[in-house]
Amino acid sequence: MFRYYLNLGFRSLRRNPVLTILMVITLSVGVAASMSTYTVLHMMSGDPIPHKSDRLFVPQLDTGGMVGYTAGEEPDDQLSYPDTQRLLASGQGIRRTAIYGINDAITPERADMAPLLANGGATTADFFAMFEVPFRYGNPWHADDDARKADVIVLSRATSEKLFGDVDPTGKDLTMGETSYRIVGVLGDWQPLPRYYRIINGNGGAFAGSDEFFIPFSTAVRHEKRNSGNNNCNGDGPEPGYAGWIASDCTWIQFWFEGASVGEQASIKAWLDDYASEQHRLGWLKRPVNTRLRNTMQWLEHLEVVGRDSRIQVWLAFGFLLVCLVNTVGLLLAKFSARAGEVGVRRALGATRSAIFQQYLIEASVIGLVGAALGLALSFAGLWLIGQQSGAMAAVAKMDWAMLLATLLLSLCASVLAGFLPTWRACQVRPALQLKAQ
Amino acid sequence: MEIRPIVSALLRNKTGALLIAAQIALTLAIVSNAAYIIRDRVAVSSRPSGIDDESRIFRIAVDSIDKPGDAIALQKQEEQRLAALPGVESLANANQIPLGQSGWNMVLFLDKSQTSSSSSMAFYFTPGPLVKTLGLKVIEGRDFTAADVDIINVRENEHRLGHVAIVSQALAKKLFPDGQSAVGKHVFVGNGADAPEYEIVGVVERLQSPWAQHGEAGELSLITAIRPIQSYVNYVVRTEPGQVERVMRDAEAALTGAGSGRLLIEKNTLPDIRQQRYRTDHAMVWMLVTVTVLLLLVTASGIVGMATLWVNQRRKQIGVRRALGARRADILRYFVTENALISSFGIAAGTLLALALNQLLVSQFELPRLPLPHLLVGMAVLWALGIGAVYGPARRAASVAPATATRSA
Repeated sequence: MFRYYLNLGFRSLRRNPVLTILMVITLSVGVAASMSTYTVLHMMSGDPIPHKSDRLFVPQLDTGGMVGYTAGEEPDDQLSYPDTQRLLASGQGIRRTAIYGINDAITPERADMAPLLANGGATTADFFAMFEVPFRYGNPWHADDDARKADVIVLSRATSEKLFGDVDPTGKDLTMGETSYRIVGVLGDWQPLPRYYRIINGNGGAFAGSDEFFIPFSTAVRHEKRNSGNNNCNGDGPEPGYAGWIASDCTWIQFWFEGASVGEQASIKAWLDDYASEQHRLGWLKRPVNTRLRNTMQWLEHLEVVGRDSRIQVWLAFGFLLVCLVNTVGLLLAKFSARAGEVGVRRALGATRSAIFQQYLIEASVIGLVGAALGLALSFAGLWLIGQQSGAMAAVAKMDWAMLLATLLLSLCASVLAGFLPTWRACQVRPALQLKAQ
Repeated sequence: MEIRPIVSALLRNKTGALLIAAQIALTLAIVSNAAYIIRDRVAVSSRPSGIDDESRIFRIAVDSIDKPGDAIALQKQEEQRLAALPGVESLANANQIPLGQSGWNMVLFLDKSQTSSSSSMAFYFTPGPLVKTLGLKVIEGRDFTAADVDIINVRENEHRLGHVAIVSQALAKKLFPDGQSAVGKHVFVGNGADAPEYEIVGVVERLQSPWAQHGEAGELSLITAIRPIQSYVNYVVRTEPGQVERVMRDAEAALTGAGSGRLLIEKNTLPDIRQQRYRTDHAMVWMLVTVTVLLLLVTASGIVGMATLWVNQRRKQIGVRRALGARRADILRYFVTENALISSFGIAAGTLLALALNQLLVSQFELPRLPLPHLLVGMAVLWALGIGAVYGPARRAASVAPATATRSA
């Protein structure tokens, strides 16, 4: 019976072509608007490292003077150099890393290539293990290289291919700025969404751009590299020179702990509070203890990685879908009520109400099915349009399997939902009255 | 009038009318809020930056591959080279540019003993004619002269950053709200013992910050006259009308040609910089315009569909009425009035819904509150849409022949 009703449903599409087309378009446009905006939101709020995001923690300390101090305000998002050094040496968690952005001019070994400006990160050996960075060639540098402040470099795949072509460049030397670095590794394809490991960056933001190279943190400091991102200084600013800057409480470094378990968030937080109160007592931290220790998703939420506009758009798009649904209910009602006579005859010939109910609900679903196909196509078109805005939007305006399935499901559910009232009304037809009218 | 029979007919068959009313209510709620967001975004993104003609301005930033020997000599040489390019009207080396989205933000004190700052502001510095290059309007005092410029190693001595300042009118008003002139006054950046002191020598009508924040914060700017000793330089260039793209290409060739030892960091025209700054706002506007247009279309089509259905259902009754002497105009009026009643009901509900949705948006997203006149426009638009949509089916109803009444079925 189901297949028969399905067949009838498809046949009936042709019965009122204008009405049917109107319904299918209405439904699919509503679904497409909702799903394309929702896909963007879904991609933006995704977990970049699901299996350990709740074990990666970002510490915050309330650095800064008492001028303009308001109790309870959110502490700085980045750390100062002296705090970073002490936190790296703290032994808390199973891994610790710090990272800051740098840029420098790479002079390619090929004479016909012009020097190019590269954006990268200065970090520690633990970074690669902590964030599970894939390697195409070679390996991360060793912790010894951090200690020796060695001139070693890891390149992104794109940078490596731009400079050397598709070969293994490890072991070669690379001139960057006035220094010659030994290439120890080349990353595989690694483009986490968002770029959670260094959200505060000056080269693309949360969803676009990438780090083209990595060198040891200690090496970057040895070469007196300033950070290329946000630098927040307090009071009168640091003493003159690079030494003055790194000794100051200017904040410019992002820091991560990796805990062995989720539960370590509490113990590391307790340690951080102790650290802050000790440093407050010593006079390094001027402000009273005010720390945070957020895990990955809490950190992304704190930095408002998901744009407010994206959320408004989803709300309004779902409002639009609601209007489309109401509209479809009205149109279905029109379509079904024109067939009251048909229902009357079927009922008089012995069809039960539930049989009628089934038939018309299936017919409504058929419209949903057709609407789903069109809706999916329109969703892709909508995402393509959204992606045209910028590189960042292009990165998040991509449909994954979950969203694809959700689109189909939403379309079907919407049509079934829209079909309920008209179907129920169709079941109310009293056969005797109908037959008499004929 | 015949409102009573229309109402009682509607009450007999509520479902369709309720659906139309619900649709109108939802549409009004969404469209009026969307339109308001659109208007707000358009207003924000069309605020003037203070630059008189943005289409003539570009910036180009360069840096050295190796450390340069004499950074000051290099800067002056590059400035001469740029000034000699055909089509260049004026240029200045400046640390940042309005709408550029990165730059210096500092806090100002009127008195070193203050415990909280008087204002924060965008901190511009230039050794050249930035005011002239951007075409800023000096409304009080004067522009800088060559004698004002301090040569400073920004990295090595961050405590001395010039000694004279030009402020935007918004900053002048914020610092001296009682209407006294800012010119001749002294301000401090920071409040420590070494905090640099500035004498305000001029006020410009408007100069937006690199971030062009919403509200007052985006208008608070200060320019000082220094030439920083550093290899990174950001040149702001004003060209003759219509030449900006060509001059920008020439400038890149002039600065970063072979053997120059200089590397292009970035170059862009001010229209591009503005586009970049307001990209999300423009995207939002387009998305909302699309949703609004689609919504109105969907709602109109819903009304047409429903009205057509009613006309078809009532062909016989219409025939009877016509046979009993009703004119075509009476039939037309019946359907238009019926729709007007439904629309009014939907609009009444929609007004409440619009306010509720706005309340939600205000609380969730800190959006501005919907002003009442704006809502009135939305109501009028939807009412007109309802009448317009029903007009076609009503005309067809009016053309039903009286003879229809005599036929069966």
